[in-house]
Amino acid sequence: MTAHPHIRRRETEPRAPVHAPAKPPFPLAMVYSRAVRRVARSVIERSVSKPRRPRRAGLTAACTVILSLAILPPDARASPFAIPAVASPPSTSPPAVDPPAADPPAADPPAQDAPDLPTTTTTSPTSSAAEVEALERRLAAVEARLAEVEGEADTLAERPAAPETPAPLRAPGTLDGQAPPNYADGFHFGSYGRVMVAGDGRGRPGRNTDIVAHGSRLDESTYAELELRREDAWESVGAYTRIVATMAMAAPVFHYDANFDAKIAIRNLYLEETGLGLKGLSVWAGSRMYRGDDIYVLDWWPLDNLNTLGGGAAYRFKTGTFVKIHSGINQPQSDFYVQTVTRSPPLEMPGAIPVNILDRQKITNSLKLGHVINVGETGGVKVIAYGETHHMRAGQREVDDNAFEDLPSEFGYVAGGELSLFTGKRSTHLNAWVRYAGGLAAYGDFARPTQPAPDNSTKGARELVVALGGNYEVGPFALMLGSYFRSFRNASPALDYDDIDEGIILLRPQVWIKDIFGLALEGSYQVQQRGALWNPPGEDDLRPLVGTVGKIGVVPFLAIAGRGSYSRPHLRFIYTATMRNDAARAMYATDDVMSLRNVDHFIGFGAEWWFGSTSYFRD
Amino acid sequence: MKQRALHHFVASLALLMGAGSCMDFNGVDKEINITTHVDDWRDEVIYQILVDRFANGDEGNDYRIDANAPARYHGGDWQGIVDNLDYLETLGVTALWISPVVKNVETDADVDGYHGYWAQDFEATNPHFGDMAALRGLVDAAHARGMKVIIDIVANHVGQAFYYDINMNGSADVLIQGNGIDSPVVHINEYDPDFDARGIQAFTSLGEAGPAPVIFGNDPATNHMPPNPAPFRKVENYNRKGRTIDFEDEDQLLHGDFPGGLKDLDTRRCEVKRTFVDVYARWIELSDADGFRIDTIKHVEYEFWRYFAPHIRRRLAAKGKTNFFMFGEAFDGRDDLVGSFTKTFPPDPSEEACETDGQPITGEQVDGVFYFPQYFQAIRDVFQYAQSTDRIEQLWADRSANYGTQPVPGGIGIPPTEAVVNFLDNHDVARFLYGVQDQPAPVQRALMHNALAFVFTAQGIPCLYYGTEQDFAGGNDPANREDLWTSGYATDGDTFQWIQRLIKIRNSYTALRRGDLSVVWSTSRTGDEEDAGVFAFQRNGGDQANGYVLVVFNTHRSKESHTGFEGNTMSVIAPPGTVLVDVLGPAQQSFTVSADGRIDVTVPASSAMILVPQGDVTSLD
Repeated sequence: MTAHPHIRRRETEPRAPVHAPAKPPFPLAMVYSRAVRRVARSVIERSVSKPRRPRRAGLTAACTVILSLAILPPDARASPFAIPAVASPPSTSPPAVDPPAADPPAADPPAQDAPDLPTTTTTSPTSSAAEVEALERRLAAVEARLAEVEGEADTLAERPAAPETPAPLRAPGTLDGQAPPNYADGFHFGSYGRVMVAGDGRGRPGRNTDIVAHGSRLDESTYAELELRREDAWESVGAYTRIVATMAMAAPVFHYDANFDAKIAIRNLYLEETGLGLKGLSVWAGSRMYRGDDIYVLDWWPLDNLNTLGGGAAYRFKTGTFVKIHSGINQPQSDFYVQTVTRSPPLEMPGAIPVNILDRQKITNSLKLGHVINVGETGGVKVIAYGETHHMRAGQREVDDNAFEDLPSEFGYVAGGELSLFTGKRSTHLNAWVRYAGGLAAYGDFARPTQPAPDNSTKGARELVVALGGNYEVGPFALMLGSYFRSFRNASPALDYDDIDEGIILLRPQVWIKDIFGLALEGSYQVQQRGALWNPPGEDDLRPLVGTVGKIGVVPFLAIAGRGSYSRPHLRFIYTATMRNDAARAMYATDDVMSLRNVDHFIGFGAEWWFGSTSYFRD
Repeated sequence: MKQRALHHFVASLALLMGAGSCMDFNGVDKEINITTHVDDWRDEVIYQILVDRFANGDEGNDYRIDANAPARYHGGDWQGIVDNLDYLETLGVTALWISPVVKNVETDADVDGYHGYWAQDFEATNPHFGDMAALRGLVDAAHARGMKVIIDIVANHVGQAFYYDINMNGSADVLIQGNGIDSPVVHINEYDPDFDARGIQAFTSLGEAGPAPVIFGNDPATNHMPPNPAPFRKVENYNRKGRTIDFEDEDQLLHGDFPGGLKDLDTRRCEVKRTFVDVYARWIELSDADGFRIDTIKHVEYEFWRYFAPHIRRRLAAKGKTNFFMFGEAFDGRDDLVGSFTKTFPPDPSEEACETDGQPITGEQVDGVFYFPQYFQAIRDVFQYAQSTDRIEQLWADRSANYGTQPVPGGIGIPPTEAVVNFLDNHDVARFLYGVQDQPAPVQRALMHNALAFVFTAQGIPCLYYGTEQDFAGGNDPANREDLWTSGYATDGDTFQWIQRLIKIRNSYTALRRGDLSVVWSTSRTGDEEDAGVFAFQRNGGDQANGYVLVVFNTHRSKESHTGFEGNTMSVIAPPGTVLVDVLGPAQQSFTVSADGRIDVTVPASSAMILVPQGDVTSLD
């Protein structure tokens, strides 16, 4: 391959290989802190298993690497023209993010991942006194930790040599799947994927049994994203370029239904420039999954999850504040947006040609303001204010031959916020969201509004979401949390089946044994009320339709990448039992087995992975 | 109970989280207390609404609508009625008869079930019109304005629930046989084959093959689905004799399918009787509506009505609702037949087998009827076609013989003779103006206004078909089912204001609503005779002995007439010397009763006078 004359290849390793289990996205400070431990541990291990090697030399080398890792941001390390010496803001990346993409509930737009905009990790060469102080504090912390490590190494070295033990089951060279990306010149590949092999124990396929829009993901079906990425550093302008193309595919796959076809979608196709003209600034254009923090166990992005053709910009201040703007368009397949009819061709030519009577696009604008406050060495608080506006022009639709109806212009908005608390250690975090959407925006990103207002518009539609998600890890244990309440009313003033109040609380405790084997238990309880009445069996009176579903799951898994709620890949067995009440059964169509069963089983095994994908790492 | 308690806890928690996001089902989800909202049904003015065509208040339930095709759904719903109660209140009507509320076969042979008479699920609302909360919301909103709601029901048939597999090939065929030369071309639709007293027979190339299998539909898209509730999914509960061809034949009338493939239930069977009581009483228990208009009453055996009506009354009374009005519709001009459903006939002892509540069957039927005989003999023959008025007198004279004369026990407290529902036109006949379209426009309107005056003053309960007030002039079904919203709900039209005035007059003079009636002038003359076209009656007595009203019509289209012929002048019961003032016309003409109790009233062509004692005249404002 011939390098482009304007592209200068990086001369250093894009990133020091870390022989460590994949971990969830952390603030950089966390990553560096962990890297200290990992490298130190590797030093210790080497010193134990190979005592003849000069320990001090090894430690010295390790210290060099550690300091490099701890102090220099990845880009600074990677790029010869990056400005060294100043640490990046420690917590510019969301603490508890990065859930793998997943198939969303059918009512929602296909889930996809859009990472937060990459953050420039270099800073100005002229550092403030505060920055210098912060750097000194961090250096002191690193040195203290190094002293600990050295002490441990000494202790170990003084012990009798241990017999050779098998190497840990970690793939050498495996990169942290959610680590900040290095703008390493060249092509890169990343992926999220899950493959599910499951049945219901009664001969039927395993099926998602949630009644709420965002329920347990244990019984989700097969889905994968394959990302091809090109990254280049442009010395002439001091910027980095990333071109991302992500292809996603969903079940069924050929080996299941013997249909030589696939459900494929292009989920990302965009170009992003970072550091162009202004450090801290990034701009992008293209088709992009664009979203923030999620609740992994619910496979859901409660605040922002946009999928548009568009562009945006982000700027991160040195103070920990960041701002992101975006504008995009889409036109979901629906007669709300497009109506195609046939008309006679021009100039009395024979035949018929299609004509779009209605052909309108939705314009979505978003603005996100955030600020990260560091707490202690690794922890912090992140506060986000978020808003969207949705616009669409008026149109006309043919209701009969040469009879038209007017569709008024549309407007929608979103206002919301997030409060995120994170320790910076082992992905422990607690996130809370509040989000209110009105008008067109209440119907979601890929809105195909139904049940309109009397004037055929979405005026009056509204959605309120209050959500809580988190993860806590200590020792070999972890506890993941996902919960929310959601109230949706469509634009039709009357209550109907599409008007929904719903909520779920889900807990997933996990334990790891020897860092290779894990066991997760999951329990959830979900409630959904529809704007409909029904006759409970044996009752004469009409009652509100309030379905409840309780689910318990047992998931033993092989944690190839080690322990951690967000470490992947996993090979796993899944069993879930779903218990639904009569009202929940009534939500299924006649003769659907779920309308007949009080209890459903899901028995399966499969795999889940993510690595190297912009969808999942944070920067 | 534990599960319910848990649900309540969770729901409460959810509501707390949602801060006011609770759903309001208009109280339907709570214990409903139904009660009586009517004092005297004779005081009411019924307004017949074809829900699909009245107003579209909820775009959310618009699906498969085609407003340009008269036989398709157009989008009207119950919320639309609620939204336009001001309009109705301005008009002055007090009771809303709404078309059937139950879920229908969606569409059949490219015609939709927008009218509501193709029931498929007797326990579910028609989703085009709204849900139970919406229906309840309508009833509550109406009650809040002092209006009542009458629900249209059908007990004769269900929709196109099944087909007869005549050729036993397992699919619903349209068969064409014959070549038109050696044998006639015969068109057989397995959904709607001609009547066969033996029951529809299977037929193959080798001849008849016994009773044709009955196959219920299974097409959710058109809702050709097995009916609900479960008893209506039993083949044995249907007569299965095919389409009624000869309505004079009692077997066909009672046991044949209604034209259009509407499957006739065997309403003699106890299970069918009980099921209908259950499903229809339930609609009232859930909605608190105030009455039933009962479709196709003559196609159902008397024994059914002897069971159905008393059981409905007792069940609703036990829940707190009395004075529940049930009036039946028999599209028939035979007064004795129509009236027979209001009379008390002793039951056959075998009917007691169906009893479950220990009450003996006493033979009473419905409270009143939709007065089709009057439509044919008075509205059509006299007011549209200017035939002699003596036929009205004869019709009314027969009423006491043809109708029940005593209030039905547990009913509305009014004898059926006084509980006839008078109407100008309805959804099953061409509109009045269509029938006089050969006349100049001013004459058309005068004729209709005159007929309206008759409807609002005759003994009984007046009923106005929606759109009449907007001069709608559609022909036969479905042309007579126009969209009311095309009128803009205008209230300044002549006819709207004419009806408004008639209702005010009716409300102002109790005798017009509750008084006894006696005809004081009718004539067989329709030419240029002096009394040609005159018809007059007076109303007083009854339980409103102090009131008196004299109503005089001239149904002649072109000349004025008076209440006298060859020196014989009309005699009235008003005391001599009484000055009677016309409160209908703007001139407020007055006439004095002579010393011998006679009064000579001259009325212009196609017009009427409502004369009340001068001292009783009140302002209508």
